[in-house]
Amino acid sequence: MSEILLTTTVGSFGKPDYLQKARNANARGKVSDSELHDLEKKATEEWIRRQEDIDLDILVDGEMYRGDMVAYFAERLDGFRLGGLVRSYGNRYYHKPVIASKVSRPKPMTVDWFRFTQGLTDRPVKGMLTGPYTLLDWSYNEAYRTRRDAALALAEAVRQEAEDLERAGAKYIQIDEPAIHARPEEIDIAIEAMAVVTQNLKAKTVSHICYGDFAAIYPKVLELPVDQLDLAMHNYEYRWLKLFDEHPFTKELAIGVVDVHSHRLETVEEAAEGIRKGLKYVSADRLLPHPDCGLKTRTVEESLDKCRVVVDAAKKVRAEIGSRAVPVQA
Amino acid sequence: MNTTVVGAYPKISDEHQELRRALHKADRGELDDASLAVAFDEATEWAIGELADVGIDVINDGQIRWDDLLAPFAKAWRNCERGPLERFYDNNTYFRQPIIKGPIETDGQTLVRDFTFADGKLRGRAHLKAAVCGPLTFATLTAEDDHYKDLEARTLAIADALAKELAGLGAAGAKIVDVEEPALAAHPELIDLERAALARLAKGGVTVALYPYFFPIDKIIEKLDVPPVGILGVDVRSRETSPKAIERLGAWKGTVSLGVIDARNTRIETPRETGELVDAALKQLRDERRLILSTTTGLEYLPHDVARKKLNALVDAARAAKGVPA
Repeated sequence: MSEILLTTTVGSFGKPDYLQKARNANARGKVSDSELHDLEKKATEEWIRRQEDIDLDILVDGEMYRGDMVAYFAERLDGFRLGGLVRSYGNRYYHKPVIASKVSRPKPMTVDWFRFTQGLTDRPVKGMLTGPYTLLDWSYNEAYRTRRDAALALAEAVRQEAEDLERAGAKYIQIDEPAIHARPEEIDIAIEAMAVVTQNLKAKTVSHICYGDFAAIYPKVLELPVDQLDLAMHNYEYRWLKLFDEHPFTKELAIGVVDVHSHRLETVEEAAEGIRKGLKYVSADRLLPHPDCGLKTRTVEESLDKCRVVVDAAKKVRAEIGSRAVPVQA
Repeated sequence: MNTTVVGAYPKISDEHQELRRALHKADRGELDDASLAVAFDEATEWAIGELADVGIDVINDGQIRWDDLLAPFAKAWRNCERGPLERFYDNNTYFRQPIIKGPIETDGQTLVRDFTFADGKLRGRAHLKAAVCGPLTFATLTAEDDHYKDLEARTLAIADALAKELAGLGAAGAKIVDVEEPALAAHPELIDLERAALARLAKGGVTVALYPYFFPIDKIIEKLDVPPVGILGVDVRSRETSPKAIERLGAWKGTVSLGVIDARNTRIETPRETGELVDAALKQLRDERRLILSTTTGLEYLPHDVARKKLNALVDAARAAKGVPA
């Protein structure tokens, strides 16, 4: 492990066949919740070992227990009901939640999983949350008069969860906002809501943003109160970096250097070139290579291959820079 | 007062998941193209049956074969490909960005087979219209263009290709073709380019129903009076400021398709809510024959069970406007 170009991932990994089958069987009532939970823990441990074997620096739990990044929280927050199936793209569908009444958090939603996962490794594991603006934007709102009202109510629930994660020992807390550029005119709402979430946190805060018009919210997005922005870059041929010429990037940058929606495996040199592009704008101690987005749409093997490319590319560029290896502590 | 729908209808429901299963099988190589085509046809027949049976006056074919708004054209047109995934405006729905490798060419038959199939299955239960993507939407959402020198050249070339598609659909019997143009609502500053592109669609020889949805269009309504646009779709629900467009309808001389049913939120509109919008629109139009009621955009943004309720709300809105008890 190194103190520069720390490698990480965005959050989700491909689920192994046995877990996918168990999830399907659980939905049909053929596998109990307890049996499914055991298999989710097994798959999570496997992914921790794989991440260690690959030599990723900052780990994730892989979200073996989640189907969708919004539905998971909607199922655990009071005020939501789960809607019917809606198509996302191609032949992929998800249950889009409905904010049906005032939202509140009856109990922690991810803390037990964080404790379990962090207990499996000495490397830091990120606490993984979905941000309030994305929870709002990817749900139907029937309960709140304005979108701002809904976002701020959701922010309070996410704040409670983030602070519980910090109390449980999380050094990194990622609060994903992939929908933040859906309505650029609402960026102030997203910033205001994130300020509620992070106001008391000492942990390093990260927000992942992907698939949308990043240019429409830059440089305003630099006001988002987090330490690190985690951006899909490879899929956009690194065009967002050019924005940094006019308005310098002021946060840590987690930079996507492989595409997660393609079966094609990038070469190490291709990913290394992406890192070099990022280094023109952000110093190596503030640049974190990773895949563009979560890898849940890829198979286990594809996920592994993509991560290996990221790690090998980081090692290659570190060697070019001539860094000394220094371990990262959990 | 007539009713119509815009865009795609849900391809599956909790009970009807045959198409989803067929696509999974095809993806795994367990289903051949001919069998998949049958699955698409069956889903199309199911969708148009639902749209017609609930009492919508003018329907489309549900766009069941459309992966996204641009896909049929990016797949069929020569020198076009489908590229990387991108989010479709402010939706948690994704599309593949077109890639243009050379001059766009089409025989104008891209949608003719599907239109003819749906018309045959409909057997007069409702009027059938066709739909294409808007030229500005295709042009602005293109990821790579190796051929056209700028956005204007690309947009106009796409308009020429769409005019051929319109002509093909017209020859197949389509009287109205929806042109779904969210890019115009998103980029009202491109109104002059849109006007030039719309003028080229006149070569298609059919009435165009222009649907610039998702964003407010109050600032550009008066500039959309371009043949062959005979019907203007006005989304008055997607944003808090969207209803402002109603105040500007006096500047429009043709028919208005008023999007009173929000196709992107699950809350069901009441006849009172839709009635207020209808009354406000009629104050501007002064002739109820110039008003059609519609969804704001495609109902595929909703789960199927809610989409059905929205169709009922649309029919109820029209009945209430006509003074017919629900």
